[in-house]
Amino acid sequence: MKTLRPADIAVGCFLALLGLFIVYASSMIREGVERALSPRTIPSAVGYLILVCGIGLAVKSWRFRGEDPKINWPDREGAKIILVSLLFLALYTVLMNPLGLPLSTFLYVTISILYLKPSKWITAIIIGLIFGMVSYYVFIHLLKLSFPMGFLFEG
Amino acid sequence: MGFSWDFLFQGFATAFSLQNLLWALVGCFIGTLVGVLPGIGPASGIAILLPMTTVLPPTSAIIMMAAIYYGAMYGGSTTAIVVNIPGEASSVPTAIDGYEMAKQGKAGPALAISAISSFFAGTLGLVGLTFFAPLLANFAVVFGPPEYFALMFMALTLIISLSGRALLKGVISMALGLMTSLIGQDPLTGASRLTFGFPKLLAGIDFISVIVGLFAISEVMINVEQRITAISQKIGNWMPTWTDIKQCLGPMFRCTGIGFFLGLLPGVTPSVTTFVAYDLEKRVSRHPERFGHGAIEGVAAPEGANNATSTAGFVPLFSFGLPTAPSMAVLLGGLMMYGLQPGPMLFKQNPEFVWAVIASMYIGNVMLVILNLPLVGMWARICVIPFYILGPLIVFFSVLGTYSIRFIAFDVWIMLIFGVIGYFMRKLGFPVAPMVLATVIAQMMETSLGQSLLISQGSPLIFFTRPISAVFMGLAFLSIGRGIWIQVRSKAPEVAIEEAD
Repeated sequence: MKTLRPADIAVGCFLALLGLFIVYASSMIREGVERALSPRTIPSAVGYLILVCGIGLAVKSWRFRGEDPKINWPDREGAKIILVSLLFLALYTVLMNPLGLPLSTFLYVTISILYLKPSKWITAIIIGLIFGMVSYYVFIHLLKLSFPMGFLFEG
Repeated sequence: MGFSWDFLFQGFATAFSLQNLLWALVGCFIGTLVGVLPGIGPASGIAILLPMTTVLPPTSAIIMMAAIYYGAMYGGSTTAIVVNIPGEASSVPTAIDGYEMAKQGKAGPALAISAISSFFAGTLGLVGLTFFAPLLANFAVVFGPPEYFALMFMALTLIISLSGRALLKGVISMALGLMTSLIGQDPLTGASRLTFGFPKLLAGIDFISVIVGLFAISEVMINVEQRITAISQKIGNWMPTWTDIKQCLGPMFRCTGIGFFLGLLPGVTPSVTTFVAYDLEKRVSRHPERFGHGAIEGVAAPEGANNATSTAGFVPLFSFGLPTAPSMAVLLGGLMMYGLQPGPMLFKQNPEFVWAVIASMYIGNVMLVILNLPLVGMWARICVIPFYILGPLIVFFSVLGTYSIRFIAFDVWIMLIFGVIGYFMRKLGFPVAPMVLATVIAQMMETSLGQSLLISQGSPLIFFTRPISAVFMGLAFLSIGRGIWIQVRSKAPEVAIEEAD
């Protein structure tokens, strides 16, 4: 989908389905005692709103006959960079508990900079080390926030 | 409860304490940095830092958060003028003439006039805030649940109708925001809603994860795909001439007025008023042909409007508890996090807090001129940090901010998911602001709706029979009607206007 019209039709259909799903999920909410505003009311109203607007968006885009604007999607390389960056972020999140904040931060920052600019490996390691230490001294040691410390600093 | 010099002086006494001065300075510094750096805006900057400020007393924390917000308004112009990279959407008009001046070797005077205009408008805006906010708060004391519901409903409709031609997308964005905040337990009955059997969703989705994802992570994704480069300009002598200052006095006054009064309305963010101000100055100028080719008024006007609007946003926030922009919504969340009741009672129950924050803003404005004028060279160098370093660091701070909400990785996953959602929303022309505002005010709206229906024994007519709520509802329906009218007349596809963080 390189242009807005087909993308809006697809998104509209997806949102209509999401709206239907929300309406169904809202009907499953336990009502409890009778109140002026049931816990179901707003969720189902939101579901209907998404459903109607989704259909509206799909229909409006389907009927549109003017110049269709292009969507500024990334090129193949840009898409790869985004996906790998998201993967690094996911790994950072997964590894934060077992490795601790300082070590996982060092690894995340160093590897991300290395991936985005492979020639700058010394810069990557130095910045990774600085922010690994900052995460320990500022956030764990100084501010006493309960971040995971990992095996390096525990005990 | 109205304005009192005693309260203001007490506020200054609190704001001048060493601790509060320090946090205001830290906020101004971080704010300028946030404004200077492309890829991170005030809403995400405040949202990231908010959970970490729990170690501070509420007054110091909010002083710092507010300083980040208005500090970012100063910082955004530096990159716009020096390297033609507007740090914020609101700095785009500044870049038009500011960068032209920089190319002509007049970056110094452009930066100086931008700081002077920001200071002038910020201070005048603060005078407005000082006298206006308690007045409005006095008026808002008579508000009951129906008035509050109608006010928030009006705010949402205004924000949607200002999303350009994207009315449907604006409504969808708002509905998705409402849906997000409904996930979890019903505040009154405790019934689980939209949790789909996931126990972790029972505690709900924190708005900070949503905002950091929508703004910071999606912005990083867009920047890494574009692989930003920057061009350096020489700053030169930074002193503007007397002629420059005289030329800018009129635009500063006019645009402060425009920025302030438009900024009182929900949805009218600095990114809107700066364009309005620039356009107005071009129209009233005797030499409109100079605009776009390095006219110094073209820098003074949007910068004045920018700061006046950001200060004006505090008026509805403090008097009604109503956020007019995403950054204000995050500040509102911050107030609630500290157990402070936003709205008219804030002036009554916590006058020492609210007046200390207002007084600190006067001090912060002076700090910002000092930070922005002599240190302009440093800020200009910071803004050319390559994105391969900046991107991972923004993600690092985003992860720290979201993890420290409840110290569980779940919030980071939510941030990641909303980062991807925000990325697609931007690509497909969905406005992000309605979603953010809906996420923050949904619970207040639902509570006031429930209380209103309880008062009226289930009749929705209560919103139309009480005069104040009827006016708000009328304005809301007018705004909806205007949006539908634009939709019907428009033959163009749905694309939201460029919006500010």
